[in-house]
This record gives sequence, structure tokens and C-alpha cells, in this order.
Amino acid sequence: MSPTPAIQAERLGKIYVKRRSLREMALRPFRGPERVTGLSDVSLQVETGEIFGLLGPNGAGKTTLLKILACLVLPTEGRARVDGIDVARDDRAVKRAIGFASADERSFYWRLTGRENLIFFGRLYGLDPAAAARRVADLIDAIDLGDAADQQFMSLSSGMRQRLAIARALLHAPRLLCLDEPTRSLDPIAAKHLRRFIATTLNRERGMTILLATHNLQEAEEICGRVAILHHGRVLRQGRVGEITAGLPGRDQYVLSIRGLQAPLPRDGRWEIADGIPEDGVLRVGAAVERGGEALSDLLRAILERRGTILSCNRREPGLQEIFDRLEEAG
Amino acid sequence: MKSVRMLLAFVRRDFQIEVSYRTSFVLQFFGIFFTVLLWYFISGVLSAPKGTPGLEGLDYFSYVLLGVALSHYLTMAMMAFAGKIRNEQVTGTLEAMLVTPASIGTIVLGSSLWDFLLTSIKVVVYLAVGWLFFGVALKVSGFLPSLLILALTILAFSGIGILSAAFILYLKRGDPITYLVASGSALMGGVFFPPEAMPRWLGRWSSFLPITYALRALRRALLRGSRMADLLPDIEALALFVVLLLPLGVLAFRFAVRKARQEGSLVQY
Repeated sequence: MSPTPAIQAERLGKIYVKRRSLREMALRPFRGPERVTGLSDVSLQVETGEIFGLLGPNGAGKTTLLKILACLVLPTEGRARVDGIDVARDDRAVKRAIGFASADERSFYWRLTGRENLIFFGRLYGLDPAAAARRVADLIDAIDLGDAADQQFMSLSSGMRQRLAIARALLHAPRLLCLDEPTRSLDPIAAKHLRRFIATTLNRERGMTILLATHNLQEAEEICGRVAILHHGRVLRQGRVGEITAGLPGRDQYVLSIRGLQAPLPRDGRWEIADGIPEDGVLRVGAAVERGGEALSDLLRAILERRGTILSCNRREPGLQEIFDRLEEAG
Repeated sequence: MKSVRMLLAFVRRDFQIEVSYRTSFVLQFFGIFFTVLLWYFISGVLSAPKGTPGLEGLDYFSYVLLGVALSHYLTMAMMAFAGKIRNEQVTGTLEAMLVTPASIGTIVLGSSLWDFLLTSIKVVVYLAVGWLFFGVALKVSGFLPSLLILALTILAFSGIGILSAAFILYLKRGDPITYLVASGSALMGGVFFPPEAMPRWLGRWSSFLPITYALRALRRALLRGSRMADLLPDIEALALFVVLLLPLGVLAFRFAVRKARQEGSLVQY
């Protein structure tokens, strides 16, 4: 029998109904309220022990999905299960199984220290005072908060606050951790440290399942085994980042550096060459080349035949926006 | 047991926050002395004959001292539940609490428990200042019934407070309960003057306010030393308010939470 998936979402949908202002109701009394799609027909499965990324721009539905899993929002349709428990039926059992760290780094009591904050939230997870103090001390060590733990929350840096938010989500030793854009307000070095902590300490060493919402493609590629790409509340693709980008419809993008080209490159339906300006005798051009077949070889041969020296030919990985655009174009 | 521990965690949290503002924490108790002094001089000017209807043979200073002290409970209940919930929404801590297995009832009750404790201490300080420095004669025999009256008063006011918090949670603003009950109680509940002093048609509305019964029973117990049998009608009326208002508040709050989860507006403000 296969183990229960950590998360299972089946045709999950969320429609937000916008409240109308008194003015709108007076001006258009018979018009219904505006409906905004938060999620539409989202099905995905996160296996126990993996790091799964929810990749998408702002407003894609990542936070809505995380909030449904954390029992903060009820789905309009479909079903979501955490560790086999339906989020709409037994929210307390789900909350015991899941740790949720929101993107809002302010969500602490600013006049209390980091330690006092964690002890308070530990007690809401049912820990007695002594157990809460012990657990918090362990977590402060694990997330390397050091002396900062005993400073008032308001004096902590963004990086420390984010670590504290993750520590809070770990207070009850959950099997599954949901992180909503944890590196959003961190500098590159702090973000790198946090990514390492998530991938190494939490996932590899402690075996935690992690669901990570991010709009950073590189971050997703670096630590997520699989991702779901969300756009306008829909899942556009699921799988490994490399597989998704390799399987994108359209042409592959290359950047070529050429020296000594004697004649213009021939026109061919299989490639498109952008205009480039030579610098110090080196022409750098972008080329969109048909995938598969011999289009790339033929293009490179054509350059060599025109006495060009190919200094480099690098495939350019598509950015997140380009991935969305190309997936959307392909329907 | 776990719920009690959680409630104590709220008290500890709020105590830690309160004492982190050291000066304000100390000053609020000094403020009580000046408020009592203020009413002492006002009552000197407004000295009403003891036979004034509704004063029940009490001097005006003793009458108003209890009114002002107890009205703190009402103001606090109105402010604590709704105000705390709104504050936690704004700072984002409500979301952080709602993802824990703590029940919503525990969160709402816990968030206002410290305020109730602090207000209780303030009420005791009011009475102690009146007794020690201004000659208010408190009857020791009334202390025990007063505890029962205070407990019922707190529960009845909590019902209104939770109802008010439900409005805040769902509507975010525009809580009509606070406005109506607070203004009505201040005007007609016998805080500053007996309802009998108002035109009859207006004074009648005071019977729909729990503060009317709470104040009358407390004055009779603490200032006149009335026996339990004499206090019973007001205690029963208070108990009726508790039976009606508390479940109504809890039901309204549950409804508001469910609606807010459906709308995804639980932590919006």
C-alpha cells in the first residue's frame, strides 16, 4: 500500500466575493457582487519527504492554496487533505500536522522578546510552560538565533524575524511545513542561508515535507524537487523545473558570441536572429532556434561557413514571466 | 486543563506587554485617585438629598463611585473583545494564532482575560480609595454577594463584547453594538444618576440593560449591606442576561468566523 501523500488537492477552487460599497449598492442595486477567482481546478499531490514549490507571480493563488491547507480559508469547491485529513472537516487535526509560516514578518508581539513570543505560541500548541521553554531553547539553537532571541522583537532584523517565523511554525514538531515566500524580504546572503537551512536541516536531516511558495525561479530550481506553476489561480504545469523549462512550447533561446563573420547569416524559417552590435570585433546576438532536429547545428555550420569564429553559444534559460507567457500561449 | 493553560499564557503575554510600558502601567493607578477626587468635589456641589428617588438612601458620592467603577467593566468588555481582535488582525498575530490548534473561543476569551483582571484590580482600587480617603462606608457582609454579582456582570458584558467582536471580524468596522450599548448604559443604566431621575418613558429603557441590575445589586450589597434575598431579583435578571447574551455572542462569533473563512477575510481589516 502506498503511503498517504503529505498533501492532496483535488479540483480545488476558491472564489472570493468582493463586498460592495454602499455607493455601489445605491448606484447599481440589482448588480450582483463581483467574484474573483483565487484558485481554479487545482489538483496536486505532495509526497512525504519532498520539497515542493508553488511557483507563480503575485496574485497567482499561492497564498490562497497555503491558507486553505492551514485552515484559514475554506475552499469553494474541491477537496484538500493534509496527511489524509480533510481540511474542511477536522481543522484542529490538520493544524497539529502542519506548520505554517506566513510572508507577514510583523506577526509577532513587538514589545516581547523573540523567546517570549515563541513560548506564548508554544503554549497555544498545547505545550506546558516547561516543555514550551525547552522546545523554544532547542529551536533557538537550531535556527541560530543566538542572543537575538532575548531582544525585543521590534529590534530584530528582517532575517531574524523570518527565522523566528519559521521557528514558530516548528514549535509543535509538525511533519509538514508550509512556507509563504520566506526569502521575500531577505538580502541575498540571508536568503541563501535560509534556503540551505530549509533544504539541509529541515528536509534532509529532519525529513520534513516542505511546501514552499515562491516567485523566484532560481530558488525553486535550487531547493525544490518538484514545482507546480500557478498563474491566475490555475496550475499551468507540474514537475521538475528543468523538465518544465525543457518542455516549454516554442523555440529555444541562445546567446552567441561570434568573431570575424564575413557575410550576413542566411534567412531560415527554423531560426530567428536578433540584430546585434559588434563590440571590439565580437558580435553578441540572441537567436531563437527551433527545438529538435538539426536547426542549431545548421545555424552553427552557417556561421563557420561565413568564416565566423564561435566564441560561445549558451542556452538562455527562460525567466518566470517568459515561462508563464509561453505556457499561457500554448493554452 | 489545556485550555486553562492556554488562557494563562494569554494573561502572561498581556502582563508582559503591559509592564513593558512601565510608566503608563503605574500612572493608570494614580489616575484612579484623581478620578475619585474629581467625583468627590463634583458630588459636593451636586449633593442630592438622600431621599432622591433611585438613590436608595445613599449619598451621591458613594452612588457615583460605584457607578464609575463598574462602568469600567462595561467599557472594557466593549473595547477588549472587539479591540483586541481588531488589533490582532492589524498586526497579523490573529492569523498566527488561528493556525494553532487553540480554539477560537480560547483565543477570544484569552485575548481579553488580562483586561478583565486589570479592570477588576482597578475596581478594587476605586473602592479602596473611596473607603480609605473619602469615607465611603463599605459593608463587609456585601463582599461575598458582590463577587457573585461581579461574575455575572462580567459574563453578561462578555456576551455583548463577543457580539461586538463578531461584528468587527465580519464587518471590520462599523460595530453598532458598542455604540448602542455603551451610550445607552452611560445614559440610562444608573452610572451617574438614577434612571428614576429621567422622564419615565426614557427611564424604562434601563430595564433592558444589564448594567442597571449590576449596579443596583452591587450598591445594595456593598453600600447598604442588603441580604441575599433582597438582591435575588437583580441577580436573577443578570443571570437571564448571561443565559441570553453569552450564547448569542458565541454563536454570532462562530458565524462570523465561518463567513470570514469562506470569504477569505479572516485576517483582513
